[in-house]
Amino acid sequence: MAATDTFADIVYGDYQSSKPVDPRVVEAMLPYFGRTFGNAASLHGVGDAATAALEDARARVARFIGADPAEIVFTSGATEANNLALIGYAQRNRHKGDHIVITEAEHISILNIAKYLEKSGFRVTRLPIDLYGRVSAKKLRARITDDTILVSVGWASNEIGTIQPIAEIAELLAGTGIVLHSDAVAAEGLVPIDVSQVPIGLMSLSSNDIYGPRGLGALYVRKGVAVAPVLLGGGQERGIRSGTEDLAAIAGMAAAADIMAAEMPADVARIKAIRDRLVERVLAEIPDSHLNGHPIERLPNNAHFRFEAVEGEAMVLSLRDADVAASTGSACSSKTLEPSHTLISCGLLHEEAHGSLEFTFGRFSKDDDVDRIMAVLPGVIARLRELSPLYEKEPA
Amino acid sequence: MKSTQYSEKTLEHFRNPRNVGTLEGPNVAVGRVGNPVCGDMMDIYIKVTDDDRIEDIKFQTFGCGSAVATSSMITELVVGMQLDEALKVSRGDVADALDGLPPIKMHCSNLAADALHEAIKNWRAGVKPEDATTTPVEKSCHPRPAAVVEVEIANLDDYEGKGVFKELKAPSELADQRVVVLDSGDRAAQAAIDLTDHTGRVVLMTTGKEPSVSSAMRSALRLSDVKVLAEAQPLELRGEGELERILVHDLNEDEEYELTADAFVVLK
Repeated sequence: MAATDTFADIVYGDYQSSKPVDPRVVEAMLPYFGRTFGNAASLHGVGDAATAALEDARARVARFIGADPAEIVFTSGATEANNLALIGYAQRNRHKGDHIVITEAEHISILNIAKYLEKSGFRVTRLPIDLYGRVSAKKLRARITDDTILVSVGWASNEIGTIQPIAEIAELLAGTGIVLHSDAVAAEGLVPIDVSQVPIGLMSLSSNDIYGPRGLGALYVRKGVAVAPVLLGGGQERGIRSGTEDLAAIAGMAAAADIMAAEMPADVARIKAIRDRLVERVLAEIPDSHLNGHPIERLPNNAHFRFEAVEGEAMVLSLRDADVAASTGSACSSKTLEPSHTLISCGLLHEEAHGSLEFTFGRFSKDDDVDRIMAVLPGVIARLRELSPLYEKEPA
Repeated sequence: MKSTQYSEKTLEHFRNPRNVGTLEGPNVAVGRVGNPVCGDMMDIYIKVTDDDRIEDIKFQTFGCGSAVATSSMITELVVGMQLDEALKVSRGDVADALDGLPPIKMHCSNLAADALHEAIKNWRAGVKPEDATTTPVEKSCHPRPAAVVEVEIANLDDYEGKGVFKELKAPSELADQRVVVLDSGDRAAQAAIDLTDHTGRVVLMTTGKEPSVSSAMRSALRLSDVKVLAEAQPLELRGEGELERILVHDLNEDEEYELTADAFVVLK
């Protein structure tokens, strides 16, 4: 039941939206559906075994990011971790100020939490990004006020793959009393993350993004940073996150973290080679194609393109027929019918953002994925341009 | 329902669209609806007989799966029909013929019936195809009344030295910036072309349908990496201490939007 079997017939190029669980992780989870089924809160032996397993897993997840075990709070996923970080911190520290800074490159979960905080009386500033999707410490400095309590900057964009200058921002905020939160979901497992080196206060993680099970995440809460709980109940996770811990999933995330720590350098080198080859071939072989995002400071698995005069959903549908899975920031594929906010903030016009196509690779990507994509993609683009009244052939 | 949960029939028409192309000749009219800004635009060409029958029909569509499929379907539905009969074919009829569309796609992408009706209207009004594909598109994705057009750009002077350039001494200063150059003839267009050596994002903004440049410069622009943004009137500059966004009036759609920009070049 190897995860790679899932992709025998298709080219899976959408690792940013979901990753397969590593079969070794599944193996590590199985005991917790059987012998070690206890509730970590119980006082009997079965409960003690659960407590031991929970704390062992916590220590391993902590080690993966250079944290202390006491700084890890398990949640139901990165969305909950983001809620706990922003709402929990804002509410607990309201007496210090009412101003929060996020960026225009954030994942929708952060954007919607920020809207909720605005309705609850906080002021939110959205930091602009540059042509490549990066924020600058200089622009951040100009927006910080005496009332600023929290700055939230995603480690990297899940969409265009741009990596933010987190260390520089953390350095800028160090000593100001303003806490830095980072949604690190897109970056974990792809770039080194070590909170013992970067003075960050809060950080959201997802289990699935390191090939662990879905439905689990974690919030890193640096010692001394206080957050109010968002979920109330039995006071698990040091009172910060109530609800009986999902031991099987937590053991899965710990196993995923161990595997990732051991294999990341080789994994990333292989994935980056696949991505680099795709970018090189697309830009060389498909006319009027562009790369979105930063040319260098980008996640090693991300290739985000824009093709003139074609629409993203039509590309994704056509690729699906050819057994290639990709995604798009086009409005026509979104629930709101709005194109990607990140692409618009990078300066693209709406009609340009509609032509975006994203490939993200991962642990089970195959070396011939690029050849298989390039066997169909130029034809897909050419066919849709044939249909399009917008495409002007290159002047002779 | 996911936007991509199309019926088999819709997918079949998307994969193998009927009647793709354009028509020419004295008995031809075109209807254009939608807008690339919204993600969908289509042209439907009809060739009409002396007794008001649709003898031939073709389409070109930029858009998502349902935009292509509805265009294809309507050409099959109405070929051979009398014009009066064809005018009765509604968006709902097209969706029904495709075994339904996802709810979210019903109003946005189902423009085919509108394009057909527009073509028939243009035929009856004697509008020539070349005029029909350049006249303003009436349908808007986000109708929003725009402010009165003023040539005055609010805050222009406030941002001088903070993103606004009234002359361009060293284009390399604008490396990696999102630069918007306001059209003022060949000199501005040449400045825009020169800037593409230094940054990947140069927009030449003009209030006209095309930049006011010589034909040689027009060819040069087409071959360059300059993005021409037509029918756009800058209204106001915005940003925290330096230029960050330009409020633009889309003269075609009559709506306003913000364009992210680091530099705005307005040559004297």
